[in-house]
Amino acid sequence: MGEHAVAIMRIAERHWHALDNDRVVGRGEVTCRPDGRLFLSIDAWHSAVFDQLAETMVADLPRPLYTVLDEADVDLLLQWERAGFAPRRREWEYVLPTDPQITGLGSAPPPRGVTTMAVGEAEEGPLRVLDRVIRDEVEATAGWQEMPAEILSGPDGTPLLDPAKYAVAALSGEYVGLVRVVPLPRQPRIGLIAVRSDLRRRGIARALLAEVLGSAHRRRIATASADVNQSNGAAIALFEGVGARRASSNLELVLR
Amino acid sequence: MAKATGGIQLEGTVVECLRNATFRVELQNGHKVLAHISGKIRKNYIKILPYDRVLVEVSPYDLNRGRILFRYRG
Repeated sequence: MGEHAVAIMRIAERHWHALDNDRVVGRGEVTCRPDGRLFLSIDAWHSAVFDQLAETMVADLPRPLYTVLDEADVDLLLQWERAGFAPRRREWEYVLPTDPQITGLGSAPPPRGVTTMAVGEAEEGPLRVLDRVIRDEVEATAGWQEMPAEILSGPDGTPLLDPAKYAVAALSGEYVGLVRVVPLPRQPRIGLIAVRSDLRRRGIARALLAEVLGSAHRRRIATASADVNQSNGAAIALFEGVGARRASSNLELVLR
Repeated sequence: MAKATGGIQLEGTVVECLRNATFRVELQNGHKVLAHISGKIRKNYIKILPYDRVLVEVSPYDLNRGRILFRYRG
């Protein structure tokens, strides 16, 4: 990059380029999440280019604006802070063992009357009903703000819900708890674990964890991962109670 | 797939996850680079693990540095 400042161009509604003598030396992109929030990302080899892209994008877009980053990436955090962004919330990334001898889940039977169904065995209709109930309970919409890995919605706004990614807990034939698992081959990711509010604190979430972690262990997968909002004390207690350890953390930043 | 910002794009394999949100990636030509992840990967919560096959953009300013643009499935 030369001594002179780069030129920033908005090349499309959601894309910006930093140009140095017609050579692209940085890119910016904005993504609109299903809940309407705008998330920015910038890739640039030099901090000066990052700053210019950020300044232009911030000026072009309506606030609030958001971004996410690995908290360990101190340089990137400083760059976003220079642009005026500030931390809004933190997500811990946990790594969970799958071995029942480590998790202690092998000897824990599900609560009385509760049965668990393995990933892929749930019926879509009842699963969708439970998903709706849980979303209503947390005043959630598609793009659940406190949910690290959001569920995308279809063209009609209905959340896309793939039964092949869910294990469920049932009580008297009714679905009462669910866990969504992203089937990554070497380390599956637990995207969401939730139980109907009137049936919490009975061990149903623990039974769901036993189901999915035990299944992974039988397939010789040693660990799974999960992202947890730092304010979600129940989930933290659940995961740390089965031997999960914190591996990293993500920060969501906001510019208001 | 993400587009590059002026660098050469090469496939490689993640050999080590380092502490400061960087990864050591061995390129197909045997060269190793220190790579960050692209903003798009970060926004989409795509996790990078050792042994992942990735597409890396090597910095035109420092051939020992790069950016992971894409993680291949499998």
